[in-house]
Amino acid sequence: MKKISSLFFATLMIIPHGFSFCGFYVAKADTKIFNKTSEVIYVRNGDRSTITMSNDFQGDVKDFAMVVPVPTVLKKKDIKVMDRALFKKLDEYSGPRLVEYYDRNPCQSHYLYKMDDMVMNLSSVECISVNESRSLRKNKVKIEARYEVGVYDILILSAKESEGLKDWLTENGYKIPDGAEEVLNPYIKDNMKFFVAKVNLERQGTLTADKELKPLQITFESPKFMLPIRLGMANSDGSQDMMIYFLTQNGRVETANYRTAKIPTDKEIPTFVRNEFGKFYKNTFDNAYELEGSDAVMLEYAWDVSSNTAVKCDPCVGPPPLYVDFIQAGVDWFKNLNQDQPRFDGSGGDYGSAFFTRLHVRYDRENFPQDLLFVETPNKENFQGRYIMNNPASGVFDCEEGQAYLKSLFERRNRELSELYSMASWSSDRHNEYLNSAPLSAEINKAFRQSDKRGEIPVLGFPTFPKGLSGLLKMLLSGVGLFALGYITFRIQKISARKPVLEHL
Amino acid sequence: MGIKNITLEVQQFGQYLLKDARHFQIFYLSLFLIYGVHFLNWDAEINRYIAITAACVGTQIGFSLYHKKSLSSIKSALISALGLCLLLKTNALWVGALAGFVAIASKFLIRYKGKHVFNPANLALIVCVSLTGEAWVSIGQWGTNTVQVYFFLAAALLVLLKVGRIDTSLGFLLAFAGLEFIRSVLYLEWEMDNFMHYLSNGTLLLFAFFMITDPITTPNHPRARILWSLLVGVVAFILTRWLQLYSAPIWALIVMSPLTPVFDKIWSGERFSWSVEKTTPNSLKISKS
Repeated sequence: MKKISSLFFATLMIIPHGFSFCGFYVAKADTKIFNKTSEVIYVRNGDRSTITMSNDFQGDVKDFAMVVPVPTVLKKKDIKVMDRALFKKLDEYSGPRLVEYYDRNPCQSHYLYKMDDMVMNLSSVECISVNESRSLRKNKVKIEARYEVGVYDILILSAKESEGLKDWLTENGYKIPDGAEEVLNPYIKDNMKFFVAKVNLERQGTLTADKELKPLQITFESPKFMLPIRLGMANSDGSQDMMIYFLTQNGRVETANYRTAKIPTDKEIPTFVRNEFGKFYKNTFDNAYELEGSDAVMLEYAWDVSSNTAVKCDPCVGPPPLYVDFIQAGVDWFKNLNQDQPRFDGSGGDYGSAFFTRLHVRYDRENFPQDLLFVETPNKENFQGRYIMNNPASGVFDCEEGQAYLKSLFERRNRELSELYSMASWSSDRHNEYLNSAPLSAEINKAFRQSDKRGEIPVLGFPTFPKGLSGLLKMLLSGVGLFALGYITFRIQKISARKPVLEHL
Repeated sequence: MGIKNITLEVQQFGQYLLKDARHFQIFYLSLFLIYGVHFLNWDAEINRYIAITAACVGTQIGFSLYHKKSLSSIKSALISALGLCLLLKTNALWVGALAGFVAIASKFLIRYKGKHVFNPANLALIVCVSLTGEAWVSIGQWGTNTVQVYFFLAAALLVLLKVGRIDTSLGFLLAFAGLEFIRSVLYLEWEMDNFMHYLSNGTLLLFAFFMITDPITTPNHPRARILWSLLVGVVAFILTRWLQLYSAPIWALIVMSPLTPVFDKIWSGERFSWSVEKTTPNSLKISKS
């Protein structure tokens, strides 16, 4: 990774003016590429958690309600209504990126360089629907606190038993999905409280013109570094996606009770993916997730965003988060910056260290029986999902280097198709068209194929040796190797004819 | 003629392999590492593995030569090295080397009545994680997978039957998993698969079958061993649930290791020796008494 980024830097030095460092933004896949996606910003410092939950609720706001188990009774100052813009910013900043390069024609002196980035935008919806009513009866349920925050009416409930809580919620017009009761019970027994939010329609009418529901942010102190996902599974068959943006002080966040795996990155892909990058990434993610056994949490981005980090993304698809964004998200360990001071823009302002981790969780009941537990590690290694598109050079390739370039282009295109097939399972009739597109042609390719002693290069990329099988083979080979090593040791001992000495170490 | 020779050679090689339980351990731990790198897509940081192994083996050779002891304990050093490769994560090579050095040096420097006190890999993990700020233990790196569980169990069974420390594993698991079972299934009423998910964590199994079972740093007497391992389990459970410290077993072991001599004092038993055929004069003395 480091190698590639320094290479990228070197390339940037010689690009003509007019192409900004952080690349420019050509298109975004604004569609919901992943169904049922929720987004969470999780800021963790010591025992302090600040969780911002986005609810891109599609139905009528009067049907909206959210029930979240929390470890403590929250105070009013610990509940805030946030702007959606922060999610958009963090999503764009950390999303998988498509970078574009232009080849140089070796037969011409000048060349073009351009870089495009695309970003994927994710939207979210994951709430429990309820109907509102105003029953005030109690059912072994205690209202620990009641707040009005923005357009929301917030209740913090504690309960003695799940039956009571379920009845109370039902009587008060919250529609509890089947199966939720069993899940409520462990939370109640674990002394968790329930954060219940719904929209106050009267205030919503006076406060906001738009119907969009704003994200809620809660802060609490607890050694538990976790996200409860089981409640959300009660009414859902199939899998749900959740994007978690972590901001921590020291390093990468990983899951403690699930495997954290990386998405494929730094792969060269054909140029025709340009307009379907969203679909490409979705397929790539689906495949990678399945390959990891459908029970791993996927790492999509990890970057050191401390104030003294010069390169906050490479390349940037969205602007890196600023001081104000961190503060908004709930970061509390920064040195105070004077309000009059201009926003940090990379040129000044030393506020401290921060690390950004983006985890993509696709969870279902079968593979994710436990809530997500996290640990912060001191791992500051950067990671991003980056896919590379190489545009061919144009012009006349009448010199020797030109011919060599065409041949390497032919081979690269084959390789790219191979990658596309193994990553996103894309194989289509466009492949031949792509191989034969300018500056190559069917005739040129035929010549290359004939000159190639290895025989015909497959048009369709062969999937690489099935992962499980190749791993098994490697393990077998390694086993044989270990035996061989053992045998060598045995021979040496035999030759040296020294009797083994006993000891206790 | 030739075939006879080969048969003899294979026979002798087989005997050699079976003679020492450490051979099994080296074999399985290596397989686990290869499995992790190839099947679980760990970052194969070959440099880290080399740094750890070189530091372990180098330190072992150094101390062995200094104390004029046999070099056969390189096998033990290799086991510590493999354990560290499997558990210790770091981006800094020097931390890997430090871990290897601490592991082996502790065997020679922190001793009580001729036995080293701390499990070498365990001590190195704790030192590096808590003091360098550049190392961590990736608890979730194995994920949870049924096939993997059987793989672990089968491998562990072979080694432990040979070493005779299956009681330590079972004692620890009984206490740790038992308490968790009471907490999550009986009290909190989570479903059974929630509990099984907890139990099939690869890091936990690796700890239970390959780390805590180190015959040198566990009490000699079977009864003492079982009590001691039960205590490790209890401490680990308390750390996990009260402090939300998910790497609790390795911390529990470091807390309990200094108590091993105490257990040895109360219940005396035959001291473990890696080679099975002969007993040392020392252990003969103990078994007579």
